[in-house]
Amino acid sequence: MPSIDVSGLVDSEGGLLDRAVITDEQIYRQELRRIFATSWLFLAHIDQFHKPGDFFTTYMGEDPVIVSMDKNRRIRAFLNSCRHRGARVCRADFGATRSFTCTYHGWAYDLQGELISIPNKEGYPEDFRAGDWGLVEVPHLDTYHGLIFGTWNPEPESLRESLGDMTWYMDAMLDHDPEGTVVVGGVHKWVLEGNWKLAAEQFATDWYHVNMSHASALTVLAPGGKPNDEVVHRTGRQYVDPKGHGHGFPVHPKNRFDAQTVHEWTDYAALRERLGEARVEGPLTTGHANVFPNFSYLPVNGSIRIWHPKGPDKMEVWAWTIVDKSMPEHVREAQRLYNLRTFGPSGIFEQDDGENWSEVQAISHGFITNSVPLNYQMGIGSERHDGRHPGITSELYSDAAARAFYGRWRDLMNTPAWHERNDNE
Amino acid sequence: MSDGIRVAALEDIPEGEGIAVDRAISGTEDDIALLRDDDGTVWALNDTCTHAEASLSEGWVEGGYVECPLHASKFCLKSGAVQGLPATQNAVAHRVEILDGEVYLFPGQQP
Repeated sequence: MPSIDVSGLVDSEGGLLDRAVITDEQIYRQELRRIFATSWLFLAHIDQFHKPGDFFTTYMGEDPVIVSMDKNRRIRAFLNSCRHRGARVCRADFGATRSFTCTYHGWAYDLQGELISIPNKEGYPEDFRAGDWGLVEVPHLDTYHGLIFGTWNPEPESLRESLGDMTWYMDAMLDHDPEGTVVVGGVHKWVLEGNWKLAAEQFATDWYHVNMSHASALTVLAPGGKPNDEVVHRTGRQYVDPKGHGHGFPVHPKNRFDAQTVHEWTDYAALRERLGEARVEGPLTTGHANVFPNFSYLPVNGSIRIWHPKGPDKMEVWAWTIVDKSMPEHVREAQRLYNLRTFGPSGIFEQDDGENWSEVQAISHGFITNSVPLNYQMGIGSERHDGRHPGITSELYSDAAARAFYGRWRDLMNTPAWHERNDNE
Repeated sequence: MSDGIRVAALEDIPEGEGIAVDRAISGTEDDIALLRDDDGTVWALNDTCTHAEASLSEGWVEGGYVECPLHASKFCLKSGAVQGLPATQNAVAHRVEILDGEVYLFPGQQP
């Protein structure tokens, strides 16, 4: 299959981006082949599976997968497509089952993905072997502090290697205490006009938009209805990962959760002891993050989400609320409501972001518009070791993590994937 | 209980579920599904669905019927009578008695 050289579309050193990366259909198809079929992708939270047969259906890129616990209590993931005529073998969003039966002709598979029942089996030739027609399995799954990731790459680098120093930042959300995190409520899902990367890059890099886009929300939340200078001129850092991850966060000595009940319950002394001052005063504050390519989270809100690609112009947002398992019920409820009000589908911040992404996308197909590059030059040259946070960091107000995000994107887009390599070479 | 076979304790079978009795124990051509209705009663049918390879003991048991776990055919627990497609043949029913919390199976006898 011919591929497009995207070198000319991403100038990650000069900070320029061609809009074709969010509008071009061929580039989008190439992303499915070279980004989504090769990377570790977030699938689900471990708390969604407690007994054999518990399942959750999601997507890896545009590929539908069933994540489920098999009879030996192992979490596995299978392509949700019948080997016979290709319909999904599980149409539910989540649940518990003993088997997966295709609703078209009735081929049925067990929790290990084996084909166990074929109606009118006598019609098949004698040498038909059911063992050859099990569900296609995702070859590698791994977890990081309760987050389940999977990859189609048959020989991937490990999940830990792929996350690199990003784990130090992720722990600020996922490792508050040894009990870990649990999911509250279900998964919110909504559709947005806009390329998936607009959301992913914003969560990786963009504090800059906060004062403008979220002005009304900030005003509502400010004591006395008037944001002070500290809010508008927030200082902080931005972690810039060479593999495309990013995490921006204010740095603040008196870390402050916005949900009062959660704030009052939180034992900051214990957190300092466990995670260290740099993390409690940094990424544990009101930060934003993206794990390349499309898994994002907001530590203070308890929001984890995935940006499912649905063509170059559309994404589906799937969002979970997670809380510390040790939280008592009334604190969990406070966190759930706080996340719902801020970053739920109708949250006062979420609405602002979705509007921006859809706005950018809606006009980007214009011929002249599409020929005018976008600017990612904020903070060029600011990347450095800051002596307090691992890896390379930049300023809070910076495009550095976006430049790294698109740099990684460009490199993967220009590298033949595992499924394109010729074994004879 | 002449010629009845003790095959399970009643508490081994949760309401709404079933267990399979191996044909080596029942002495029948097929394994036998012991199915416990949501009213607590226990019934027995040949385990293999009459439509395709599927075990009725893994089906859903409710309101006097068992639904095949794979293709959703329904059978009357008491008579084995098929209720709808894709199966067209009745399931074979066997007599079951409960005594002192033990389940006795009478293979080949009508309920």
